[in-house]
Amino acid sequence: MQLKREEGGVRHRLIAASCALLSASAGRAEEAPNTGIERALSDWSLESALAYYHEDGRVQAIEPVVSVSKAYGDGASIGLNLTFDALSGASPNGASPSRTPQTFASPSGKSFTGGKHSYAIAPGDLPEDPHYSDLRAALGADWTLPLERLLTANFGAKFSYEDDFYSGSVNALLARDFNEKNTTVSFGASYEADSLHPIGGTPVPLTNYALFEKTGDQSKDGTGLLLSLTQVMSRNWLSEVNLSVDRFTGYLNDPYKIISVIDAAGDVRGYVYENRPDSRTRRSVYLDNRVAWERSSAGVSLRYMTDDWGIHSETVQLHLQWWTAERDKYVQPTLRWYRQSAADFYTPWLYTAPDLSSASSDSRLAALQALTYGLKYGIKLRDKLGRESSEFNVRIEYYQQTQENGLPGPGALRGLDLYPDLKAILVQIGFRY
Amino acid sequence: MNHRTLGSFLIVGAAILVTGCASVGVKPWQRDLLSRQDMQLNGNAIDDAVDDHLYFSKEASSGGRSFAGGGCGCN
Repeated sequence: MQLKREEGGVRHRLIAASCALLSASAGRAEEAPNTGIERALSDWSLESALAYYHEDGRVQAIEPVVSVSKAYGDGASIGLNLTFDALSGASPNGASPSRTPQTFASPSGKSFTGGKHSYAIAPGDLPEDPHYSDLRAALGADWTLPLERLLTANFGAKFSYEDDFYSGSVNALLARDFNEKNTTVSFGASYEADSLHPIGGTPVPLTNYALFEKTGDQSKDGTGLLLSLTQVMSRNWLSEVNLSVDRFTGYLNDPYKIISVIDAAGDVRGYVYENRPDSRTRRSVYLDNRVAWERSSAGVSLRYMTDDWGIHSETVQLHLQWWTAERDKYVQPTLRWYRQSAADFYTPWLYTAPDLSSASSDSRLAALQALTYGLKYGIKLRDKLGRESSEFNVRIEYYQQTQENGLPGPGALRGLDLYPDLKAILVQIGFRY
Repeated sequence: MNHRTLGSFLIVGAAILVTGCASVGVKPWQRDLLSRQDMQLNGNAIDDAVDDHLYFSKEASSGGRSFAGGGCGCN
């Protein structure tokens, strides 16, 4: 924080400040970093985590994250973060369960009898590709730069690589303080460009799955705007409201998702590849409130989002934090509730060869509700002089997603579990220095 | 809600915020609680990033807290 410059008594204040600095330096002489490496690292902070994610009967993922940042005396800072993801397991392919066995080809397969390039699904089971796997590496950087006493700029960039997907994005944000730095207004813009290289080629939308009609690589890109107001409400209450809008255009399909085509008796007649609109505009309002007490704090965030695909969603997240009397340990329970309506073009199956311009059976576009319960425990570690120097933490989350208002299955599909719940657990250990 | 109504709401809302914000806040020496790590809006950046990635891959909405987008082919 920078205080207002005062005209009088500057020399005396400088002398007093110099004396204070010297005495502080003398006091810290014993604890000064001894080696060149310690000196070089003393201005940096590091945060790292290892997360393990496991879905009941589906995918599992392991995700190490490392983030380093350096703060400069003038308010500037730089940060770098590196993330890896290793994902494997079974992923729904979009088709519906059936009373009869179903056989599918993996994305690189060109027939339904290709050994490891095909898989069979037992009657009544949700069709899932059992060989789903992916590796992702992402590198992000950000730079905060004070332009004037009350004006700050922030620039960010992110690159992400997967076998079948490359992504690059940049963003810039200007923040202006008002009202003795109790009010901050920020405005920013972002741009993202993605390149898709689906394994086995890009399926031609809404074509017969059995014909394996594929084309080449695809792309999409998006721009976003963000307007934010942060307000200190009182000594222990901070509030933030964000308005954001973004628009993506290009190839917005999931190239690995298909839709069952069934007859009135509920028997499968075939499958087609999904097709989504080639543009999507989303708007959101996000409100965050933090309240602190002597040994505890609470945070409540609300988000309302809507898009031109017909999806509306509401999210409420609550987290509380309690500290021990020594402020060396804390627990943080979290609860999150989420609900979304279905996309206009969502359909769990089609009755005939498609006469629609857009259709998808991806359950992520269906009406659904989700609950997350979480608990985090942290320990502050102290250095030999008793000061807080680092933190070790562990957290666990349980996520359950339930589809709502699912169409009842006709004929043979009646009685099958057409919309199984998604249950997942996340365990994460973290270290901050 | 048409664009004109929405625009009127935004203008009136911004005016209320600007005039209202000037009367609330604290002095610099009253920021002890606000400076705590658990009061920072991005104080748990890695937790937020891990969670956002999970929700981005399982739900149709993302973003809001900051710039949206995932840099992930999972959705």
